Amino acid sequence: MVATVVDKRSLHIESSGQLCIYCGACVGICPLNCIYLDETRITFDETTCTRCNICVKACPVGAIEIG
Amino acid sequence: MQDLTTDVLVVGAGPAGSMTAKWAAMSGAKVLMIEKRQEIGSPVRCGEGMSKSWLADVGIKPGKWINLEVEGARIYSPREQCLEINEKNAGNEVGYVVERDGFDKQLAIDAANAGAEVMLKTAATDVIRENGAIVGVKAKRFGEPFTIRAPITIAADGFESQVGRWAGLPTNLMLKDMDTCLQYRMTNVDSDERYCDFYLGSCAPGGYVWIFPKGNGLANVGIGVQVSQIKTTAEAKSYLDKWIAKHPAYAKGKTIDIVGGGVSISPPVKQSVTDGLMIVGDAARMIDPLTGGGIANGCIAGKICGQVAAEAVATRNLSATFLAKYDKAWRGLFEEKLYRNWLAKEKLTSLPDDVFDKVVDALQGVKLEKLSVHNILKAVHSRYPEITKEFEAFL
Repeated sequence: MVATVVDKRSLHIESSGQLCIYCGACVGICPLNCIYLDETRITFDETTCTRCNICVKACPVGAIEIG
Repeated sequence: MQDLTTDVLVVGAGPAGSMTAKWAAMSGAKVLMIEKRQEIGSPVRCGEGMSKSWLADVGIKPGKWINLEVEGARIYSPREQCLEINEKNAGNEVGYVVERDGFDKQLAIDAANAGAEVMLKTAATDVIRENGAIVGVKAKRFGEPFTIRAPITIAADGFESQVGRWAGLPTNLMLKDMDTCLQYRMTNVDSDERYCDFYLGSCAPGGYVWIFPKGNGLANVGIGVQVSQIKTTAEAKSYLDKWIAKHPAYAKGKTIDIVGGGVSISPPVKQSVTDGLMIVGDAARMIDPLTGGGIANGCIAGKICGQVAAEAVATRNLSATFLAKYDKAWRGLFEEKLYRNWLAKEKLTSLPDDVFDKVVDALQGVKLEKLSVHNILKAVHSRYPEITKEFEAFL
């Protein structure tokens, strides 16, 4: 049997507007194209996301966390 | 929401999208341009500086969107030696600082007046594919799903660039090929309204700090930092705050607007067309990797894209083979320059502060007749050929 390693850390995008400025930097850099930006809402596909940390670095204001 | 059909569907109403829509409509096609926001051009994601020599060629007339005209640029080394390039003295045209939201709206108005339909609050959610070709998109308008079918779809969805990727065109970026940017629009600052200022070196690793004056003590003070050089969260903001704190002329300013965004500093896409779809502007990574400027290239390519789209529809030539006409045309105009500036960027983003200092010192007194990246790189080449070695063939 092959074990599947699932990264259970959660990705949290603070998109209520307290930090997020809806600039789309995370959307454009996501290598799996799994982050979506509506005008004032950011969502991502939990099952596609690999927690690669790239969007965390690309966010100019620190609105994304993995933990 | 009723399903729609059109000849040319443009996704995204930024400058490249509006130019494509306008030129496709002027060339006789039925055009629909969709935009996910409720207001074209807003919120702004731009430093708002642009060159001006290209505007007339693509049919853009100066308008109320111009804040002011600058005379040149000042480039500051890490120890803040200034290299001043005043072009107006040499009798050349330079550039504008603009109201980007007004500019984008004007271009959308031009597109609408040329006959294009414009639909706001409408986001593409996926492409529709039939027999391998793209034949439109799935979309949501005010949250309601529907489909738009079109023989030609244009991905003008900006830096975020999802439509092209859904269609299978690789537009993914490496971390070294993106700058993450933050800008404050500040009032009560002392900036010289004749110049756009650029500060290089470790104050903005892999990017620069910019000051673009907007008149009456107002200026855009912004930063771009290369993502591959970022170590912790919110670093773009902390670099910018640090820079402002060190400069009294700006530390006393008051921020009235915060702008963020991503800028690609990559080579352009290897493939900008597929069956039934073309990709244009920032989405096609047409941004100049050295300056971060993308409006001119997006508009110039948009004009060609619109013309080819209309011709494709009129002649029912929807294949990638026919659309390659667009790919070939924009590459002929600026691909070599983008590639040269990308190679230069690869080198310059790795230089330590003392080398930047030496280079700027060496350029003092060199007569630069025209403010262009090419001229600056040629001047660097004449003093420090070791810096330009990797791309000297392009100089």
